[in-house]
Amino acid sequence: MDTSVSASAEAPLKILIADDNQTDRMILSAIVKKMGHAVVTAEDGLVAVEQFKAEQPDIILLDVMMPNMNGQDAAVQIKQLAGEDMVPIIFLTSLQDAQDLAACLDSGGDDFLTKPYNKVILQAKINAFSRMRRMNSTLTKQRDVIRANNEHLMHEQEVAKAVYDNVAHSGCLDSPNLKYMLSPFSVFNGDVLLAARKPSGSMHLLLGDFTGHGLPAAIGAMPLAEIFYGMTAKGFNMADIIREINMKLKNVLPVGIFCCACMVNLSFRKQEIEVWMGGLPDYYLYRSKTGQLENVASSHLPLGVLSSHAFDATTQKFKLDLGDKFYMWSDGIIEARSPQGDLYGEPRLQSVFKNNQDPEQLFDEIVHDVNHFVGESGKDDDTTLLEVTMIDEANLGKAAIDLTSGAVNGPTDWRMAYSLRGDTLKTFNPLPVMLNILHDVPTLRSKSGELYTLMAELFSNALEHGVLGLSSELKKGPDGFARYYGERSKAMAAMTEGSVEFVFDHRPTEKGGSLLIRVTDSGKGFDYQKNIDNQFKSEGYSGRGIPLIRSICESIEYKGDGNIVEVVIKWQTDIS
Amino acid sequence: MSHLNLDEINELKDIMEDGFGELVEAFIADSEEKLSALHDALAQGNATRVGELGHSLKGASGNICAAALADIYKQIEHAGRDQNLDGVADMVSQAEAVFQEVRVELQAL
Repeated sequence: MDTSVSASAEAPLKILIADDNQTDRMILSAIVKKMGHAVVTAEDGLVAVEQFKAEQPDIILLDVMMPNMNGQDAAVQIKQLAGEDMVPIIFLTSLQDAQDLAACLDSGGDDFLTKPYNKVILQAKINAFSRMRRMNSTLTKQRDVIRANNEHLMHEQEVAKAVYDNVAHSGCLDSPNLKYMLSPFSVFNGDVLLAARKPSGSMHLLLGDFTGHGLPAAIGAMPLAEIFYGMTAKGFNMADIIREINMKLKNVLPVGIFCCACMVNLSFRKQEIEVWMGGLPDYYLYRSKTGQLENVASSHLPLGVLSSHAFDATTQKFKLDLGDKFYMWSDGIIEARSPQGDLYGEPRLQSVFKNNQDPEQLFDEIVHDVNHFVGESGKDDDTTLLEVTMIDEANLGKAAIDLTSGAVNGPTDWRMAYSLRGDTLKTFNPLPVMLNILHDVPTLRSKSGELYTLMAELFSNALEHGVLGLSSELKKGPDGFARYYGERSKAMAAMTEGSVEFVFDHRPTEKGGSLLIRVTDSGKGFDYQKNIDNQFKSEGYSGRGIPLIRSICESIEYKGDGNIVEVVIKWQTDIS
Repeated sequence: MSHLNLDEINELKDIMEDGFGELVEAFIADSEEKLSALHDALAQGNATRVGELGHSLKGASGNICAAALADIYKQIEHAGRDQNLDGVADMVSQAEAVFQEVRVELQAL
């Protein structure tokens, strides 16, 4: 028979042995100590509870029948004292009856050990319960970590919501011509509803529906709101604003996250509504005179998907009569589900309009119908609804322009000079870097293509006709271009000290800004007085591209010996 | 005739190591004390107490590998629990006699 003692493979434990018989205590202690554990003893139930409090043992061997307090009562008290901690109790008993043994476990024991004590079994049980105790401890710790993380996340969300509320303030959503439904938790479902008046009196509106939920959806809403309020207050037109927002979101949002949006410019003066829609379900235009509904569909991709080059800011325009209404919603309305799982859908929405008697009740009727459909499960934190009515501007009140939003109009009063000389002039293309500086002025960004064409033309004139002294006459005739570019290569190779300088001078004007571009080359110039009369002759490509430049600029002027050319481009914010 | 199971005694010695002698001393002292109390309980007709003491002595005897002795105590325990003290006096005398023999054997180990 194997009489060797298996030493415990785990860290030493403290084991409480409670038995009223001295010989039992001595033998059990010897077995447990041989495992490498420490022993604490008690001779009755009361002492066992006291020892538990004092010594905090890991495992308890508890005799069932003891004076003063028996094992079962002691077990109940000890388990209570242990609380969340798992402290295994092994009853020591000479009982054989299954009922009695089961009663031991029912009273709170975790196991029992019958006499005569089998050393091997006792050791195995101690090891097994030690493992269980460690596992319980690990689980409790992990649960506490998870709980703390959860509280931390909740707190973060509260902070995010507070910041969001400051940025995406309701603007003029309380205007008399607007009715809206927006959950206070919209920041977490990705819905945004913004409204602001322009200096001209018109009203900008934006409904945004970000993909996803929670903080990732909310993140994009902040730069969007900042740009919307900032640029609207400064009188930018909605095409510029929506383009700017798209670029920002494209830069900021991760792949797969975008914002379905509808932006509206409501002009009271012109009694007109201008709409840009991307990625949203059809909206309705309600005609008060006839009660008819017109569909207005999205004609663009959502914001944040396309690059600036591919982005299309084309809007749809509709004339409105007084009392006409435009309805905007996130897809939370159409996709709202009943407790049975049915979709609300467009037909139900259309029937609300059809059954309506009083247009002023329409908004409430829609809200009521949707809430009724969704029922008690009320996931109405996903539905955003806006009704816009065309009214007389006199009934609107003066526009409170908020100029506190960020500096989104870029630099307006600046000057930059950039020259290329000698070898650098031969090899480096300065156009991208200069165009980049111009991009800081938002409206100039929308003229990016024209500006590039303009600067390319000015630069090529300055370099080829100015510095290299090539004549555009060379280009005439069937072999003209080949000959021209042959001469050009030769002249480039021979050039050592030429220079071209660009000066950009931008100033703010009452309604926008004015950009002056002056290009100076180191060449001999030309007799520009003579050519002014011929300016409008565009002989193929042989002129200095003057007509092209004129179409982009307000003015063009030659100075000096004809080696200096100045063009002026003016831009202004929308007055509609 | 040996009252002790020598194989079990050897296992017990192995577990107790240097503490074996102490264990024997403890057993003897405990048994003497409880036997005396058993006499008293019997004289008072306290069957419940007789049962408790019988139970305790049974356990101790079993621990020390004296199975025959343990058996006698078991009978005393049951009689006490059954509240029937008839014939228990004889059992106690028998137990005392066997105990003395066991003691001698233990002290000779």
